[in-house]
Amino acid sequence: MSQNQHPYEPLDESVKNKIAFNQGNDRLKAWLALMCKIRAFEEKAEELYTLGKIHGTMHLSIGMEASAVGAIMALDPNDLILSTHRGHGHCIAKGADLGLMMAEFLGKECGYCRGRGGSMHIADVEGGNFGANGVVAGGIPLAVGVGLGLRMQRTDKVIMCFFGDGAANSGPFHEALNMAAIYNLPAVFICENNQYAMSFPYKKAFKVARIADRAAGYGMPGVTVDGNDIFAVYSAACNAVDHARNNGGPFLIENVTYRWRGHSKSDANRYRTKDEIDEWKQKDPIQRLMAYMVDSERLSADDAEKVQQEAYDSIDVAVTYAESCAEPALDTIEEGVYA
Amino acid sequence: MPVPIIMPKFEMSQETGLLVAWHKSEGSQVEKGEPIFSVETDKVTMDVESPADGILAGITAQAGDEVPVTTVIAYLLKPGESLPEVSVKKESIPASAEQIVKEESAGRPTSEQPQAEKDRSAESEPTPTATPVAQRMAAAGGLALSTIRGSGPNQSITKADVQAALAGAGAKESDVTEQKVRGAAEKVRATPAAKRAAREQAVNLRQVQGSGPRGRVQEGDVVEFLSLEPENLDGRQAVIPGLSGEVEIIALSGMRKKIADRMVTSCQSAPHITFTTRVDVSALESLRERLNQKAQQNQAANISLTALLVKFVAWALIRHPALNSILRGDEIHRYKTVNVGVAVALPDGLIVPVIKHAENKNVAQIAAEIQDLAQRARQGSLTPGDVSEGTFTVSNLGPFGIEQFTAILNSGQAGILAIGAVQREVVPVENEVAIRPILRMTLSADHRTVDGAVAAQFMAELREVLEYPGMMIY
Amino acid sequence: MTREITYLEAVREALRQEMQRDERVFIIGEDVGVYGGAFGVTLGLIQEFGEERVIDTPISELGIAGAITGAALTGMRPVGEIMFMDFITLASEQLVNQAAKIRFMFGGKAKVPCVMRAPIGSGTGAAGQHSQSLENWFVHIPGIKVVAPSTPYDVKGLLIQSIRDDNPVLFLEGKLLYKTKGEVPEEPYTIPLGKAEVKRSGRDLTIIAYSIMVKRAMEAAEQLAKEGIDVEVVDPRTLKPLDTDKIIQSVIKTGKVLIVHEACKTGGFGGELAGVISESEAFDYLDTPIVRLAGRDMPIPYNRNLEYHTVPQVENIVEAAQKLARLEV
Repeated sequence: MSQNQHPYEPLDESVKNKIAFNQGNDRLKAWLALMCKIRAFEEKAEELYTLGKIHGTMHLSIGMEASAVGAIMALDPNDLILSTHRGHGHCIAKGADLGLMMAEFLGKECGYCRGRGGSMHIADVEGGNFGANGVVAGGIPLAVGVGLGLRMQRTDKVIMCFFGDGAANSGPFHEALNMAAIYNLPAVFICENNQYAMSFPYKKAFKVARIADRAAGYGMPGVTVDGNDIFAVYSAACNAVDHARNNGGPFLIENVTYRWRGHSKSDANRYRTKDEIDEWKQKDPIQRLMAYMVDSERLSADDAEKVQQEAYDSIDVAVTYAESCAEPALDTIEEGVYA
Repeated sequence: MPVPIIMPKFEMSQETGLLVAWHKSEGSQVEKGEPIFSVETDKVTMDVESPADGILAGITAQAGDEVPVTTVIAYLLKPGESLPEVSVKKESIPASAEQIVKEESAGRPTSEQPQAEKDRSAESEPTPTATPVAQRMAAAGGLALSTIRGSGPNQSITKADVQAALAGAGAKESDVTEQKVRGAAEKVRATPAAKRAAREQAVNLRQVQGSGPRGRVQEGDVVEFLSLEPENLDGRQAVIPGLSGEVEIIALSGMRKKIADRMVTSCQSAPHITFTTRVDVSALESLRERLNQKAQQNQAANISLTALLVKFVAWALIRHPALNSILRGDEIHRYKTVNVGVAVALPDGLIVPVIKHAENKNVAQIAAEIQDLAQRARQGSLTPGDVSEGTFTVSNLGPFGIEQFTAILNSGQAGILAIGAVQREVVPVENEVAIRPILRMTLSADHRTVDGAVAAQFMAELREVLEYPGMMIY
Repeated sequence: MTREITYLEAVREALRQEMQRDERVFIIGEDVGVYGGAFGVTLGLIQEFGEERVIDTPISELGIAGAITGAALTGMRPVGEIMFMDFITLASEQLVNQAAKIRFMFGGKAKVPCVMRAPIGSGTGAAGQHSQSLENWFVHIPGIKVVAPSTPYDVKGLLIQSIRDDNPVLFLEGKLLYKTKGEVPEEPYTIPLGKAEVKRSGRDLTIIAYSIMVKRAMEAAEQLAKEGIDVEVVDPRTLKPLDTDKIIQSVIKTGKVLIVHEACKTGGFGGELAGVISESEAFDYLDTPIVRLAGRDMPIPYNRNLEYHTVPQVENIVEAAQKLARLEV
């Protein structure tokens, strides 16, 4: 079955235009810039890794930028997110400082986590990012706790919890979604279905056509959208966030997308074909937004290029900064274990 | 049939005979009636004649040996005959009077054994004599005594023999434990606490006999060792005459042995002179009564007569340092502080915990310390520090009603004071008959370093202060 | 003002008093609300504090663990309950990979002040899957604290302190201790974590014991006193962080140590204690080997007599102590 036959309804053009109109060109440009930054960041991270400057492993979200940006743009600045091991995009979309992120990747003291967390555990609690997570579905039960805390403190904040198709089959997903529903928590669960849980295809892992169908099993609304269409993502997310914030309880959104790179750096892509990858590259979320904006004359082609270039430049600045930072001192090695 | 040659009994009450000399040697031809060795009893020296013709063989007693009467000490063999394998009843060592050494004696230069050394039947396991230390070490090492060659008197097995056996290549056991023991024979098995105690008190652990499992040296063993300071732990085996009939045999070992050795050493090296004086303790008694009222008010320990005496003795010793000294080799160490040891009786011996710097302590402190030390002594929880560095000893048998007694000096110390019971006696006071409480105390002093006059002066001054306690302020 | 209450009542009182004092404290677990808790610990609390602060959950141990961790991250001070320690296996991911590590992984820039309570131990006939003592698993995880109180007085003070501690705390309540009684002050009070207590001072031998074994060690000590063996009982109270000083001092004093715990011997916390002792100054004062008396390496059986003989009882402690005191070891 070709991927084109995935069961989501494409976003109605009129809805797209409405959103575009309401946002205004500047906002849309900001969206584009964010997506470009994510792309540039991921590519640079990949490059540094290949050059041996970043150690460990990393999980790149190239190709999934719209899923991150579109969803997070639906949040208020005070809302919170929980992310995955493939969380660089979420981090950047939530407003993280690229320099501090890069520094963390290089294991430096001035990184977000003082070099102790690295790619998979990058977090900025103050900034509302309760962290990437090295355990698949590790963040979903946390979302229950965060939701409880937010509600008990009488805030009207929302917790947006990202996870992948792989997580949707694990135990924590089940327990957490159920608990979020029965406690009516202000949680928006976003499943970024990029078709593969490492090497296991979504088609083999699920007997249901849409992951979002499971929402009904927990008594919460669910919707499946084109994750590479930033407007679709945004639209669904706004709806869900609104619902959650106004005591409607949790919401499950499935963003159908695709990762261009392997699961991690050591992935030889043996489980999918080059053709498939190429097919999805045609749906590049950045190209799609750019095309829309240029076509609807919201942005000139030159400016579009400028945006991209600025994104790459800002990454270079971040790298320079990060490389200048110091390594953690050895005599601080045990700090941070206990409060 | 081999003919046994025994140590004969000449007199009714004779138990042993001293073998003076062999007139014939191992392997030589002997005729019946020929004198083959001579024996000395308490009264006479006699030749012993051969009971038969034969080849003299299997000699097991040497010139100078004290041999129990009727012990077989050799055999007469016909040509071609071999020495009999003797099965000896397995009794606890060293009771049996019938001692046979095994094939290992073949190695001795003076004998030739015409028969196989390793010839030993399973049932007949002769149990040779062995020193208590040797027995313990052999047991710990998993070695049968019968496999060890004895080099002591009468081929008895000493500690050195066991050590050699353990360390040597003789044992062929495949038992891992025994191999380990063999290898570990060079190392002392001791607990960390014992090692620390030995380290702190400069004790050679090898000299300490371990009472723990597998012969392990425990801290208590080091404490005991310190308090007794025996000079020679090799424990030469004294031959105990076999007594027929009921006899309880207790191996001289552990604390008992240490005390024994120590007493011998003390008596042999220090010429003891003793001085007794009678003390009218009326003043002392009323002082003590008053002191105890105070002690009671303060809820403090009861002040015993011993505690009081320790205080006064310490005072007197400061004034007579000759009595507060220890002879070490060629040096007299006269101490400027008084550490009084107080003898405490234990079920299996005695131990002497020390009150340190007694001259600086008040009697309440001394009393509390004595009480604590005595209690811990009885519980067996004294530390090495508690029993070391004594400069003088006091022993009080008054509570047992002993009027007067003589004590043996405590290893190297110049003096020891034996306290008798307080008894009401009739004494002349200013030509009138009076009844006073009288205590007899006896000083034993080491005449190598203390002369009569010196000792007498000490005793005189001690008596004075006991009769007039106020004199302490002089 | 103290009065005699049970260990269970002391736990409840600690919870109630902290919830009264600090509105960030809430309880979450299975059957903790109307049912009052599987052992009755939380009885009455939902009536006092309402559903919002005494939260019943479905059978979702992992969810409970995630809930307390996530809530703690937002600044709440949750107290979760796992019905039997055996089920902590289901909650482990969130406790071990998340709660214990978040602070460190985030460069010390977050804290997870939560408590997970769980009953431990055998003796109720609940058999293999409801009777375990798995404290050593979590002692092993950096970032978590592990507390195992043995008396009503200790359990109240330590629970209040645990709730106030800014770290994830695994709080282990001995099942057979719930009904034991002791003098407990009415007012709130705290006992510092990481401080052992000498429950009985003695001279001849040190017994280190925690949770239910403290009670048994004390009984054994009474019996041993009659034979002139004077036992010192040291109760660590907190297993992590461990009060090594007090333990070391005690071993130095007596030179003989017997470690007693219910959990299986192999890989049990006793090995950790033995290691701590032998690496310390106390080594030079040992006059006997360090001995561990612990549960047999087997699941807890159903049969009552077998269950009894699977873990150390008073007579086993007496026997082991005698062997040490008499230098038979």
